[in-house]
Amino acid sequence: MKDKVRDWLETGKVDLFLGYKQVDGHPLPHAFSKENLAELGELIVSPARYALEKLATEILAIKPALKIGILGRDCNQRAVNVLTVHQQISPGQIQILEVNCCPSPLRKHAACSTLQPQTYGAVKLELGVDNNMSVAQMDQFDQESLYSRWMYEFQKCLKCYGCRDICPVCFCKECSLENNDLVATGGLPPEVPLFHLIRAVHMAGRCVDCGLCEEACPVDIPLRLLYRKVNGIVKDLFGYETGGSHEQPPFSLLGESTPPEAEPHSKAV
Amino acid sequence: MYRLVPSVCSYCGTGCGVLFEVLDGQLLKTLPLKTHPVNQGKLCIKGWNLHEFVNSRMRLQSPLLKVNGRFHDVTWNRALQFTAEKLKGIIEKYGPDSVGVLVSAKITNEENYLLQKFARAVVGTNNVDHCARL
Repeated sequence: MKDKVRDWLETGKVDLFLGYKQVDGHPLPHAFSKENLAELGELIVSPARYALEKLATEILAIKPALKIGILGRDCNQRAVNVLTVHQQISPGQIQILEVNCCPSPLRKHAACSTLQPQTYGAVKLELGVDNNMSVAQMDQFDQESLYSRWMYEFQKCLKCYGCRDICPVCFCKECSLENNDLVATGGLPPEVPLFHLIRAVHMAGRCVDCGLCEEACPVDIPLRLLYRKVNGIVKDLFGYETGGSHEQPPFSLLGESTPPEAEPHSKAV
Repeated sequence: MYRLVPSVCSYCGTGCGVLFEVLDGQLLKTLPLKTHPVNQGKLCIKGWNLHEFVNSRMRLQSPLLKVNGRFHDVTWNRALQFTAEKLKGIIEKYGPDSVGVLVSAKITNEENYLLQKFARAVVGTNNVDHCARL
């Protein structure tokens, strides 16, 4: 791995390589470059995941001429695909050096040690939604119970915007969650469930199931499950696998091909 | 050119670990430090936006002194001199217990220690309190 990164930097395949390095006992993202090749000995694969592709996209927004390599798992690869589809980066601007990955329904091989399922307390299991549930398990609740369970989860929200801020595919300049016409801003508690449903809708055809939002949530809302459900609907209706390719998502209004359209409503009587 | 700098959130006394993204000496963004024992990769809205006050144009760059009802930029020397004289005057006129010192969760232990020492040894009062007791 280190030799490959050295090769990439020396041949100019990438100008900057985002990997991890142990600093003060913490595995932290670190930018390796041609100037400090000696540091490459300290390059590690971190058990703690950071959205390196998001960091790279932020650098590229300021310095578009750079080519950046990142250490990436499958989720990073999917996020790079989505960012390319949405024209936040051009193809080839971010090169991925693949490392082993954590479990995801999109690709079922795993060697990631950090995603040990967390166990939750009795109250959450009784009233809320278990974060470890699958969409199929969740669907077995009846409508009433689903509603009260999700409302229990949403009303815990501190409105830290952490789910949005950490999300590798949240790049909009104007965020609907900060638009006063759509959702009440500047106060607590957040508008429940509108706040979370706006974000859930926007994750359709975009969420790459990396799970960073859930890891960043201070109150353990099962966001990953929510977005899995939303993306499952996208897959069922449009056959679109988010992050799997450079194909335009069904919701995209721009691009070369016309997205599939729903049947027009029959005119009201 | 591009660095990530681990630090501690300066807002409250909890002490969450944060990571600053620095590009060419400019603070770009704040991230939670995933492996920090205190916050374990989570932050509140204030922590997420730490970089905003550092880069804010509204940030005070020098002390302000109110003269004739309006604030003016002054040097640190002038500000300290003025404050010392005022404090001295108040202590002489009304006694040391007319002064109280508020220490802070946002400064270090050592600075807090110095402040209480200042209150007890220099001013001569036990009126020391802390912003986290609100």
